[in-house]
Amino acid sequence: MDLDKLLEIGSQCIHLEPPTCVASCPVHMDVIAFVGEIEKGDFSKAYKVLENKIPFARLIGKICDHPCENSCVRKTLGGSIRIDELEKTVIDLGYTPPKKSFPLPKTKGNVAIVGGGLSGCVAAVELDKKGYSVSIYEKTNRLGGSLWEYEGKGLETQAIEEELSMIEKKGITVFYDTEVSEENLHSYKEQYDALYLGTGVWSKDYTINPQSFQVEDSPLFIGGKLQTKNNSIIFSASSGKRAAVSIDRYINKTSMLASREREGIFETKLDFNIKNVTPLRSVEKTSLMYSENEAKEEANRCLKCQCNECIDACVHMQRFNITPDSYIRTINQNERIILGTHHANAMINACTQCGLCKEVCPVDIGMKEIIHMTRESMVERGKMPPSAHDFALKDMQFSHSDYFSLVRKQPSKEASKDLFYYPVIAFSAYARGLYKGSGKTGYLFYPGCQLSSTHTEHIGDIYKHLVGAIKDKDADNDVGLYLGCCGAPADWAGRLDLMPDSIEKIRKTWEEMEEPTFILACSSCAATFEKYLPMIKTISLWEVFEKYGLPETDIKKGKRELCIHDACATRHDNKVHESIRGIVKTLGYSVEELEFSKEKAKCCGYGGLVSYANPEQACDFVSDRKQESEHDVLVYCAMCKDMLVKGNKRAYHILDLIYGTEQDPQKMPTLSERQNNRKHLKQTLLKEIWKEETMRTDTTYDFTLHISDEVVRLMEKRFILVSELEKVIENAQKTKERFLNPQTSEYLTHLRIQNVTYWVKYEEKDSDIFIKDAYTHRMEVVEN
Amino acid sequence: MENQLKQTHWMCDKCQEALVLEKVKVRYLEGNFEVELLKCPTCKMVFISDELAMGKMLEVEKGLEDK
Repeated sequence: MDLDKLLEIGSQCIHLEPPTCVASCPVHMDVIAFVGEIEKGDFSKAYKVLENKIPFARLIGKICDHPCENSCVRKTLGGSIRIDELEKTVIDLGYTPPKKSFPLPKTKGNVAIVGGGLSGCVAAVELDKKGYSVSIYEKTNRLGGSLWEYEGKGLETQAIEEELSMIEKKGITVFYDTEVSEENLHSYKEQYDALYLGTGVWSKDYTINPQSFQVEDSPLFIGGKLQTKNNSIIFSASSGKRAAVSIDRYINKTSMLASREREGIFETKLDFNIKNVTPLRSVEKTSLMYSENEAKEEANRCLKCQCNECIDACVHMQRFNITPDSYIRTINQNERIILGTHHANAMINACTQCGLCKEVCPVDIGMKEIIHMTRESMVERGKMPPSAHDFALKDMQFSHSDYFSLVRKQPSKEASKDLFYYPVIAFSAYARGLYKGSGKTGYLFYPGCQLSSTHTEHIGDIYKHLVGAIKDKDADNDVGLYLGCCGAPADWAGRLDLMPDSIEKIRKTWEEMEEPTFILACSSCAATFEKYLPMIKTISLWEVFEKYGLPETDIKKGKRELCIHDACATRHDNKVHESIRGIVKTLGYSVEELEFSKEKAKCCGYGGLVSYANPEQACDFVSDRKQESEHDVLVYCAMCKDMLVKGNKRAYHILDLIYGTEQDPQKMPTLSERQNNRKHLKQTLLKEIWKEETMRTDTTYDFTLHISDEVVRLMEKRFILVSELEKVIENAQKTKERFLNPQTSEYLTHLRIQNVTYWVKYEEKDSDIFIKDAYTHRMEVVEN
Repeated sequence: MENQLKQTHWMCDKCQEALVLEKVKVRYLEGNFEVELLKCPTCKMVFISDELAMGKMLEVEKGLEDK
């Protein structure tokens, strides 16, 4: 994984981009922190925020010309936040005199400040802080320059005097009544390491570098009105601050311009989304200044502009309180750790890879691909926690196995002869479809592994319907059937090594069958085909239904309103969205469109195997989706239904509506039932459609398991299958290797199956086994 | 320990022996430990309770998986 490239993507994230007010403030006062403290009623902390960026905050805060207000996002939504008024109130309620500090030794060099006005005083104080010996040359008998113009007009005499008196208290030397001119400037240049000119007017018009405020390569730096060419207080203060930075760099012989692009005002990349902002008018002050409560109320109007589009939309980011900038930095650290704990593993395995973040991101950053690459890298480096995806991958292997995997062409005309007589041929579209058999497989129905587990009873009917409907209009193309798993679990788990198992088989089958179009019923299959098998033409089952008609079932027209939970894997498949809506309307239901639908679909929590790796996180997704609407949910992905129903939300798969098989109460198959359903589906289809008897894989043991609902729940949570219990018990019966509790007459036995040790506690009554508990561990115990 | 002692009413069914606490080697990924667990003194079969497997052992497994 190219981590540098990844970090580059992370640096594009605008989550930490400052709001326009801060970007348009020449000293970058942290407005969000400032109003935050006011809202909390902590005016002295608010003052500290002010003081942190504004020199002589007690004075400047009262007379600042506040360019921030002009760029405030609230401007057209009730009026800009009154930062100027808030600053005044904060100074009055929160000003605290600075603590006495020990002056540092001034060993870094000496600097002369020509002109003791505002910018000169700022430059002097800043350089003093950095450890320079500073002397101010002021032509009058007092410091402050234009600040005095505000005496009695915003600033109290006492405040001005107190603040300016700090300068000499710090140990800065002030030469009053000393005028420096262009003529004698050179003698100061010889005497000092650098000079700052902040006199407001000067006899010579120097060319000043706009970034460094330096005059050519000389030790002369110019700020204040000479540089700003305006009367702005805050720009003047800023120029003094920035010139002090330059002087420090100049004397230290470091780069004058490096990393200074964002000094002064700049353009922020943040484009705050005001879509959901309601206008709210500025708070009017009832006296000369905002009262404490008025200030709090005004501060509360601040939108605290920050880009949170992805984290607002995604419960995964919310759970880990992270946005792409910090997420990517965390991945970078996690990838680079050699010795130590990979703390980010759990987070990386809790992303559903649904892609919603990219949809809502103003700068197009998506975590889906990044998480995918990261998981691949973890697997490659042997750092993927083995337990995270183990069950899902074993379940995938089951689907690949002969228990489920099946490819069949449409039953031949020859083999279907016994259907071709009246009245069957007249009334069965399926029989007519078989009669038109061409031998060329134009379509392959691929229901996928999960739909085959949850809607087992419909797969055969759908297949027959497809044969009848498609052959009726398109006699050349037969419809075959393919049961299998597309490999989505391996893709989600970052197991590139397992992908060929799925992909290659599908590709070969497709080639052998002369490139049929795959009819897909699962959105994850569609996504996997698009990614790994782009050469195969696919169409969704729902589009086929739209095009060739719905199965002729006894549809009782629904009247209710349903909200559609689009499958996140179909995000960009507009045809699927439209087909589903078309079918739902045909069935008589009305549709409530959720805010997060179609390209902004939210994941149900199954995506990315999150329901295996981090069940709590998966629950967050369900809860988030549940609260979006009061209405029952319509889904068209088997796992979406599973997740929602388990989260106690009524959800219907579109097939439930088509076949009128809505259950009440809703119940989803267990993990064991899912595998059994797949196994039985294959056997049933082979028998009913292809008239093939399969080898019964009947059990070899002679006991009957009894498992209470409580234990079933435990097994589901712990990903334990009934078939595994059977193996454990069978082993105990054979070897008698088990523990006995004479008090309860319970047995406890264990068996290591692949990489997991299964423990089963049970009672035995003749051939009846009553399961009391089941648990596992991966750790290997060395028994000898 | 406390949990272990509570379980002492379990015995080895095959050997009909009471269980004894003994040092046992366990390993997972890069980790190798020796812990005191109940086992049959004869056939050496080690007893692991639900609490131990789903508690401490799971915690250590997760810790090792993130190493």
